[in-house]
Amino acid sequence: MHPFRLIPKLLLALALLITAAPGAFAQDVEALVNTLPEGSYSDREKVIFDLAATGDDRVASILKVLGEGDLYVREEDGRVVAGKRAGRDYALSDPLTGEALGAAPSSDLDKIRVNNRLRRAIRSAIGQLTLMSPSPSVRLTAARSLLRNADPDALELLDEALAAETDTGVKTVMELARATTILKTDAGLDEKTAAIDTVTARGNREALAVLTASLSTAPSELTPAIERGIAGIERKLAMWDGLQNVWYGLSLGSVLLLAAIGLAITFGVMGVINMAHGEIVMLGAYTTFAVQQVIRISFPGLFDYSLAIALPLAFLVTALVGIAIERGFIRWLYGRPLETLLATWGLSLILQQTVRTIFGPNNREVGNPGWMSGAFDLGGLSITWNRLWIVVFALVVFAILLAVLNRTPLGLQMRAVTQNRRMASSMGIRTPWVDALTFGLGSGIAGIAGVALSQIDNVSPNLGQSYIIDSFMVVVFGGVGNLWGTLVGALTLGVANKFLEPFAGAVLGKIFILVFIILFIQRRPRGLFALKGRAVDA
Amino acid sequence: MNARNDTLLYLDGVSVSFDGFKAIDNLSLVVRHNELQAIIGPNGAGKTTMMDIITGKTRPNEGEVYFDGSVDLTRLDEAAIAELGIGRKFQKPTVFESHTVRDNLELALKKPRGVFSAWFYHADDEDETRLDEILETVRLTHRQHNLAANLSHGQKQWLEIGMLLAQDPKLLLVDEPVAGMTDAETVETAKLLKAISQTRSVMVVEHDMSFIRDLAARVTVLAEGSVLAQGSLDHVSADPRVVESYLGR
Amino acid sequence: MITRTLFRAFDGKANWVVALLAVIAVLVPLSNLALPVGHPLRVPDHFVPLFGKYLTYAMLALALDLVWGYCGILSLGHGAFFALGGYAMGMYLMRQIGDRGVYANPVLPDFMVFLNYDALPWYWHGFDMFWFAAIVAIVAPAVLAFVFGWFAFRSRVTGVYLSIITQAMTYALLLAFFRNDMGFGGNNGLTDFKDILGFPIQASTTRAALFAASAIALALCFIVCSAVVNSKLGKVLVATRDAESRTRFLGYRVDNYKLFAFTASAIMAGIAGALYVPQVGIINPGEFAPANSIEIVIWTAVGGRGTLVGPIIGAILVNAGKSWFTGVFPEFWLFALGGLFVAVTIFLPKGIVGAFTGGWSALKARRISARAEQGSDIAPEPSPAE
Repeated sequence: MHPFRLIPKLLLALALLITAAPGAFAQDVEALVNTLPEGSYSDREKVIFDLAATGDDRVASILKVLGEGDLYVREEDGRVVAGKRAGRDYALSDPLTGEALGAAPSSDLDKIRVNNRLRRAIRSAIGQLTLMSPSPSVRLTAARSLLRNADPDALELLDEALAAETDTGVKTVMELARATTILKTDAGLDEKTAAIDTVTARGNREALAVLTASLSTAPSELTPAIERGIAGIERKLAMWDGLQNVWYGLSLGSVLLLAAIGLAITFGVMGVINMAHGEIVMLGAYTTFAVQQVIRISFPGLFDYSLAIALPLAFLVTALVGIAIERGFIRWLYGRPLETLLATWGLSLILQQTVRTIFGPNNREVGNPGWMSGAFDLGGLSITWNRLWIVVFALVVFAILLAVLNRTPLGLQMRAVTQNRRMASSMGIRTPWVDALTFGLGSGIAGIAGVALSQIDNVSPNLGQSYIIDSFMVVVFGGVGNLWGTLVGALTLGVANKFLEPFAGAVLGKIFILVFIILFIQRRPRGLFALKGRAVDA
Repeated sequence: MNARNDTLLYLDGVSVSFDGFKAIDNLSLVVRHNELQAIIGPNGAGKTTMMDIITGKTRPNEGEVYFDGSVDLTRLDEAAIAELGIGRKFQKPTVFESHTVRDNLELALKKPRGVFSAWFYHADDEDETRLDEILETVRLTHRQHNLAANLSHGQKQWLEIGMLLAQDPKLLLVDEPVAGMTDAETVETAKLLKAISQTRSVMVVEHDMSFIRDLAARVTVLAEGSVLAQGSLDHVSADPRVVESYLGR
Repeated sequence: MITRTLFRAFDGKANWVVALLAVIAVLVPLSNLALPVGHPLRVPDHFVPLFGKYLTYAMLALALDLVWGYCGILSLGHGAFFALGGYAMGMYLMRQIGDRGVYANPVLPDFMVFLNYDALPWYWHGFDMFWFAAIVAIVAPAVLAFVFGWFAFRSRVTGVYLSIITQAMTYALLLAFFRNDMGFGGNNGLTDFKDILGFPIQASTTRAALFAASAIALALCFIVCSAVVNSKLGKVLVATRDAESRTRFLGYRVDNYKLFAFTASAIMAGIAGALYVPQVGIINPGEFAPANSIEIVIWTAVGGRGTLVGPIIGAILVNAGKSWFTGVFPEFWLFALGGLFVAVTIFLPKGIVGAFTGGWSALKARRISARAEQGSDIAPEPSPAE
């Protein structure tokens, strides 16, 4: 031993004394690491046990490096470093922090050697640190890494861990890892068959990969069992894929529903073709943006409530815009649907350009509040929170609208006016007001649809245009004047679209849907749920 | 089969329903050649729906509709039925408002109805004479170059009757021809229809009883989609069921 | 019979329009080519293709007017027929490039080389011949219109529903033509044309000739439309527009009439597209955008639908305005266009021509009825255009 090597150690001990308690733990690990190069193999084994006993998070990775024979001592200063061969030299890094420490030729490095006994000790130490860590997430990560590597040497340790495991989630992964590992070893047929069953029971894509890989190595007696397992898993996966598509479809359908439901009021109930409908949705999205902007600047704490604040505001803003449009333009055009179409198209251009002038032509960032981010698994389904909330939101909006139309005086008056304007008017209903309010309601709904869409789509002045044709398709397909038709239409088209996508691709799938609707309208010009009888022709 | 041999229009057991509501319920009716028949009945009795069925606008759920004893009308569309020789005047006078009166009649004139024959059509002297005659008959000669939109309500009714004449049909279905007419015009209309029925069959739907009396035609009473009574006006108006259906219970 | 029908096309107004177009077809190219640069009466070089473009737009608006103004079918998908005609011509022009492209492939256009096509797709064969492309420019829109119209009119889809599905039609085509594997150049479309019928496409003589061809084509379309509108066929179309079921009960197969008008109109739109592409030098899927098709409607509405002169005036005015606006206040063009939609539908439903002749024909009608009441037997005048 070089005498100078003692100096840093002394300094370290000094530092340890000075900084005292809080840092002591960390220093402890560093000190232990620095003693690794010393002494005999058995001394080293003791250090390994001591390291493991600290329970420090970083220990597992150091031990792993040591086990792989990548731990060195730099001769110039006696520092323990991790080294990876990079060309002729070794790239060095600090084994604890991972900080890069430059490069050095092999002649400047002393390898910290390990023998088989040490390797076993290291493995079990790592296993204890990870597979038997008190934290389930660490155990899960360890089990997953074993599942990937399927190292037969770890089998013993795995059995030990399995016996001690209490968390079912971790336990299944461990079992799978064990079965996968067994399929790789030369274990007996019975044991392998049991392993195949375990893997098959797991039934996900990982399991499928394991079985497929084992097909080439397994003894021929096991082939039928494996093939059965593969077929079973594929069936199950196909089912989950189908369900996942249904979910995506429902999610798309609820977006369509949100976009179309306001139109179902203005077009379906009032018979007004509002081509500016998409722009009203866009205004709702920009209201959300504006609300979040104010919150970001002035009340950052309220960010999670930004959508709740934006909803009523968006409803108010867009309902007022809608009423203004109805009073200012549309009321002059009743009974002239094609002219209404053109005038509202003109309005849509004006609204788009106004927003572009105020907010600029680029996409605006609308954030997701915490409760709308992330995803969770349900069986084999992966469900994102924002999509789930939008589905729920769409259905709630639908239910509220239905209640407003069927259970409130305003709804009653609306239906009266649309069915017989003159009669309603002579019964004292102020039809112009009802028209304005109905249009305002439809527009307000479009606005809150905009709040929801801002969570999943780009908020730009062109937001509305991408929805307008789809929305009309939904309303026309579902049957004009029928809210339930709009619901069924939106969900059907959403699901159909998502089922077509895997076969035809997104664009072609959309084209198919359009062509289908064009043909459908030819067969049933009044949509899925048509009103029949003489009233239609009158 | 024999029952319909001698008829121009033959309806047997015709029913049609809209969303569960039976607009026409087991209706049977016959119009003979050169017959003037008046149809009366309270609102919702199915008069207009019956005309829709005859002219091919509505398809019956069940029942037989035959024209001229042998042509099954339930298999044909409006245009084909019109070309067979069934002309219809709507309840609300419907003329082509942005055409002149004369053009309205020219469009109705019995000529090939194809696209290209219309494109290359040119009215010859015979056609012009025929148009002049019809204009004379419906008393619109002095307004022939006016837009139909500028006619009075009664004049539109007459123009529509004129269009029916120009079509030269075997059967005219006339829905409320005298609504909105003055008494004098009503009398004239009755005369006109009677004259027409010398050479073709006419079915008139009307509410105006004095007009029906002027027509002196066989009267069929419809109620709730089927025939309630048939016979002369005096006969049916004496029928207690007819009185009941008009006055309600 | 046919000559008489054609003869009827030349009523007083039509004569003037056709004569004016003929004069333009001669004078504009002449002034551009013959007069020296800087001469006050010379049409500057860049105006020739620009005016030529306006003329093809005018044809397109006229085509739309035949179905909308006279037959009541508001098509929001006429841009599709225009674009199909344009693509047929574009495919011919692509094939004419030959080995002068960037990749110098004698057969495959550049974009196909770029997308690793090893052979020409089957539907690109024949487009090396002008006559073939010209026929396709007519047949493709005609077939699309015929098939679409056949289904739509037979099942009596009318009014707003029809408008919406025509919009869906052009939207579907837009999505389709954006796809690279359609083999029409995807996003970028067809461009970098070199020559047409052996003449360099950028040369001022070629541009002058294309301008003249556009003016003559517009005049021919005008004559055909006039022959349709002034015949009994035209009267049936207007009758269909005003009271469809009445027309049906008169024994006319309304579907066939609509189908005729729709298909004829699509053919005219296709020819317009074929003339448009060599003058602007590019055709891309953007031409299928629903917004483009609605813009055509506003040209027609501004000029006055239901008149034959109106759409021509409207298309030229609106597009001249667009050129000016996008040059001077680019950010205000959409405000202006949007405002135009609103203003025309609310304040000027009959368009410019309608507003002018409205007063005029009311006057004339009064005079006629006054004379008629005096018993004077005057020849029937053509019905004033609505």
